[in-house]
Amino acid sequence: MALDYRKCAEQISANIGGGANVVSAAHCATRLRLVIADNSKINKKALEDVEGVKGMFESNGQLQLIIGTGTVNKVYDEFLAVTGVSAATKDDVKKAAASQMPLWKKILKTPGDVFVPILPAIVASGLMMGLVEALAKVIPSFGASGWFQFLDLVANTAFALLPVLVAISSARVFGGNIFLGAVIGIMMVHPALMNAWTVTPTNQPEVWVTLGFLKISAVGYQGHVIPVILAVLLMSTLEKWLHKHVPEMIDLFVTPLVTVLTTAFATFMIIGPVFSVLENWVLAGAQWLVTSTGGIGALLMGALYPFTVVMGLHHMYNVIEAGMLASGGLNIWMPIASAANFAQFGACIAVAVKCRNAKLKSVAFPSSLSAALGITEPAIFGVNFRFMKPFIAGVIGGAVGSLFGAITSLGATAYGVTGIPGYLIINNKLVYTVLLLISGGIAFAVATVIWKEEKAEDAPAEEPKKVEAAPFDAPAVIKCKNGVVKQPVKGTVVKREDIPDETFAAGTLGDGVGIKPVEGLVVSPFDGVVSSVADSKHAVGLEANGMELLIHVGVDTVNMKGDGFDCLVSEGDSVKAGQPIIRFDMAKIEKAGYNNTVAVLLTNSEDLEEVVCG
Amino acid sequence: MKSFEYTVQDPIGIHARPAGLLVKEVKKYASTITLSKGEKSVNALKLMAIMGLGIKQGETVKITVEGDDEEKAAAEIEAFFKANL
Repeated sequence: MALDYRKCAEQISANIGGGANVVSAAHCATRLRLVIADNSKINKKALEDVEGVKGMFESNGQLQLIIGTGTVNKVYDEFLAVTGVSAATKDDVKKAAASQMPLWKKILKTPGDVFVPILPAIVASGLMMGLVEALAKVIPSFGASGWFQFLDLVANTAFALLPVLVAISSARVFGGNIFLGAVIGIMMVHPALMNAWTVTPTNQPEVWVTLGFLKISAVGYQGHVIPVILAVLLMSTLEKWLHKHVPEMIDLFVTPLVTVLTTAFATFMIIGPVFSVLENWVLAGAQWLVTSTGGIGALLMGALYPFTVVMGLHHMYNVIEAGMLASGGLNIWMPIASAANFAQFGACIAVAVKCRNAKLKSVAFPSSLSAALGITEPAIFGVNFRFMKPFIAGVIGGAVGSLFGAITSLGATAYGVTGIPGYLIINNKLVYTVLLLISGGIAFAVATVIWKEEKAEDAPAEEPKKVEAAPFDAPAVIKCKNGVVKQPVKGTVVKREDIPDETFAAGTLGDGVGIKPVEGLVVSPFDGVVSSVADSKHAVGLEANGMELLIHVGVDTVNMKGDGFDCLVSEGDSVKAGQPIIRFDMAKIEKAGYNNTVAVLLTNSEDLEEVVCG
Repeated sequence: MKSFEYTVQDPIGIHARPAGLLVKEVKKYASTITLSKGEKSVNALKLMAIMGLGIKQGETVKITVEGDDEEKAAAEIEAFFKANL
């Protein structure tokens, strides 16, 4: 019989003096690890008899209960619910920070979270696709050759089968099984389905199933993003719910089966059709805007275009372009797409130039290059849409550029390429140059002005932070929304959990890090104010921008009563980053028999957002 | 409003670790809890402020509890002081 997790958790709680007696609770693969305030309240005998507890021992100030793989996490969840104790791990702090985020922010953040891990794939594909397609336009014989077919295959794999990558990444983001996620992604581009890119008004997919007003059409989701993210979100939510509610014995086969089947139905019957209706509206709307309303329509479309890229709808615009050319006119759609794409290029290159984060730079440059060649997904998803402001800058640039294109009657004689390769098919190369300069230039300028790099985001710890006046370039050891705490002592950074003092390690005094010092000097980790100094001179409290920081030299060194410590500041002093605060004698600490690890803790870390330590 | 006085027994006074435990305890209650030593009073939720009082062994502090659960909070916090400090 499956273990009653709730009952087990309740009995554990009852025998350790209740939630009030729990300082922190965590679990590893097999054990529930508790830090107990008052050990005298523990009823060891009764604990060992609790059904589900296979053994217990005390170690490192922790009460460890052996529960077993696969069940410990469930007992842990119930234990938290029963006792009202909050989980003390870093992940949970992060999650708590994320859950405080407003919903719209979370929604905007999701595509970015999904896309960042798959960027290398789409950057490579984007660049190759731009080059191969341009080459095919320049040398028609290449376009007709097998070489082109092969290179085009290599180039567009990541795009045509984008749903697979998106699905796997989404499953990771939403906490679902990534292989089930992959199945959903592959299903959405299954070879048995008609390729979405080949659907035209005359070439419609077969309808396989009709259930009232619900239908399943045999069409794939090539190049799509949002429907895939939604499908996997549904899948992950369902999977997690089922894991919780399906009895353990049949969990392994029931949960994946039900998850995949339900998600498949929902995707093909609801999510997919809703999107294809939306797509058709967008398509019809776009065509009407551009052909019937002149300059204003072009302006609007230039602004809306990147949003349709986000939705994955832009692959259908070929239909509009082909229609324009077929009716004997010029392709006036292409200048709009070019303006919009080139504006995203401008915004992305602005980020690439302005950012200091080496990692972001290395993403932004190739992404913008790809955007200049007309493939904007890497730039939009990897950079612009993630930070939003550059995306808006691109929208503005694209709108103005499109208006210019409409006024000057720019048009193309073919379709399929935009951006730089667009020169091959445009009717007026000089005016086209101006169009690109306007869109890219405006986007670049706007992005440069409105976008500022958020220091906390993605800044690798080892990146030196250069301050103009007094360069104190120690790496950051703690980061949060309010600012960064640079390393205040030279030495090796260790995890908070590894500080050899259970109160510090358990996070009772807040989250942070320990530092094994190599020299006896503590300097201020930021510009701030000294809020308290211990009489025994071995610890100081500092405050800056809502962050309350405790720097505590050594473990139990309070007992040295100030001998070997010299505090160079007093309460109320303003300090600058890098300013010496405490000198301490490492030899004396060692002689006194104490550990000299310096604890650097944000004592109000619970109230701060996005705290990252180490 | 409830209040009580307590003379600190802990040889190191109320420094980082005991202060941290105190904040943890105080957080459980809805009441506003104030810790005073002589003229200075601080919010007992603020770790830095508590440490700033520099409370040593043998010194007497006054704890004031005000709020909906003050009865319970005062009793339990007094017990906490006796057990830990």
